[in-house]
Amino acid sequence: MNRGDGCHGMDGRSGDVHRSVHAAHKTHANPWVLAGLTLLLLAAMAGSCLLGAVDFERGEIFHSPIFWRLRLPRVLMSVLVGAVLSVCGAAYQSIFRNPLTDPYVLGVSSGASLGAAVAILLGMEAVLWGVGGMALAAALLTVLFIYRIASIGNRMHTTTLLLTGVCLTLLISALISFLMVLNQEKMDSIIFWTMGSFGSSSWTDVAVLAPVAVAGIGVVLWYGRDLNLLLAGSEAARSMGVEVEKVKRVLLVATTLMVAFAVSSCGVIGFVGLIVPHAVRLVAGPDNRRVVPYSMLVGALFVLVCDTLARYVLRPSELPVGSLTSMVGAPLFIYLLYKNKKEI
Amino acid sequence: MIQLRHIGMSYGERVILHDVSATVAEGRITAVMGPNGCGKTTLLRCIGGLLHPTEGQVLVAGRRVEDYSARELAQQVAFVRQQAQTDFEFSAFETVLMGRNPYQRRLQNESQEDWDIVERCMKQTGTWELRFAKPAQMSGGELQRVMIARALAQETPVLLMDEPVSNLDIAHQLDIMRLLRAAGKTTVIVIHDLNLALRYCDEVLLLHDSGLLFHGPIAEGLTSDRIRTVYGVGSHLTDGQIVFDYC
Repeated sequence: MNRGDGCHGMDGRSGDVHRSVHAAHKTHANPWVLAGLTLLLLAAMAGSCLLGAVDFERGEIFHSPIFWRLRLPRVLMSVLVGAVLSVCGAAYQSIFRNPLTDPYVLGVSSGASLGAAVAILLGMEAVLWGVGGMALAAALLTVLFIYRIASIGNRMHTTTLLLTGVCLTLLISALISFLMVLNQEKMDSIIFWTMGSFGSSSWTDVAVLAPVAVAGIGVVLWYGRDLNLLLAGSEAARSMGVEVEKVKRVLLVATTLMVAFAVSSCGVIGFVGLIVPHAVRLVAGPDNRRVVPYSMLVGALFVLVCDTLARYVLRPSELPVGSLTSMVGAPLFIYLLYKNKKEI
Repeated sequence: MIQLRHIGMSYGERVILHDVSATVAEGRITAVMGPNGCGKTTLLRCIGGLLHPTEGQVLVAGRRVEDYSARELAQQVAFVRQQAQTDFEFSAFETVLMGRNPYQRRLQNESQEDWDIVERCMKQTGTWELRFAKPAQMSGGELQRVMIARALAQETPVLLMDEPVSNLDIAHQLDIMRLLRAAGKTTVIVIHDLNLALRYCDEVLLLHDSGLLFHGPIAEGLTSDRIRTVYGVGSHLTDGQIVFDYC
């Protein structure tokens, strides 16, 4: 019975017990951790701006169009996308009550890329929210489909959920290939969406994604405790005062909106939403009031580092950042499947 | 406290409950009994607002269940489910703390009062020593007691329990039933053990053929005739215990 609490006193010293329980059960994010991660992120952003195919002379950087037009928006985009994908991963894992889901694994990112591809073929690139809007519509359809098909009773079965996601991803990539063959002249710009890269990030992308990211992440943070309760199951959450259907709907729309806009500006970058919340949970425990804000910062840092490596290691050519995150993420995913296989 | 008015529930052709009417006595423990699949859990879920009956109304504290917001209802009614299950590694303490949700505002920290209530409820259910344990480290019975502590932490006048003691050994069954008696809440409990019910419950809602066969004091309800009607098993009363006629 006496598990893991050997150092705590008997009930007679309840003051001590209280303090130690408080210490062991921090529920909200620690402001010092947040501040530390933010500083680390800012330092990494500064470092990333200095690294690249072109080296700057001392003092030259602030006069260089390479810094202003290319590196800074690219760094900002990788930070935004990393934050968005990680927060969405954490939210999806709670909504679907499954630690192996994220927008990529469930095919929602692919759905968004299909929407974006269709928008490009229809010549909607000139419209500011055109590509994003189509990506959003397709991503919402995908998530709705997944949600309907994978829920048996009130429980999502891991196998059904993951297989549905995999099949959808395959179907969507087949559709994208089909579109590419039909429109060979636009093939390059479509391929870009399926690979994931910040190579063409611009201030326009930042201006489109930033407000969506701020609003979307705000919504997920707002519902932090509800996400915890959803993990206890829909009915249990309901009987503890969560308007389950409303909360799920709001969160699915908010997260899918973020994913769609991230994908429509930089393509599909896989596994970020899976790796980052997992790593955070290992250290900070399962409470989403910590997992979500920490994931936001760690995810931003992770994608920033991956993108910096992607463009620096083989300079002057570059790797698609999506391939780098998948090289880290896919083995981890398989490991997690293996570890959890009793439950599947 | 709880009024059932002509509750009916059917899925398509299949009738689960038909015309169940009763007023559950305030501050007493009411057992819901009947054979498997007779609609006990369905009835409980209707009271808890988790299901809406296809006919009739459920009133809690004079107000229709569907007129409550989830938060308001969670301040009136707590529900302990049959299968306690959590996938993510919340400790027992964090799990019980979730019961305080209906009283918390968004983005607000738990108050000292919340911590004290959680501590008290965990001590009442004998789970305080388990407070750092993760679900994987707990037995089914321990997990069940944590779930009961979580429901108590909701501090509701009404407690609904779907077979809360089925997973527990006899000592913990008795502990929980005594605890329910001491808590003095309006409790509706689905329970299979006739003798345990006879000993600790005040009233019984006996369901048979998707209808209500009997509602009233449990000692009057569990006669050998009714037990034969409902379960098809012969029995007699010896020293205040129901003894079944085997073979």
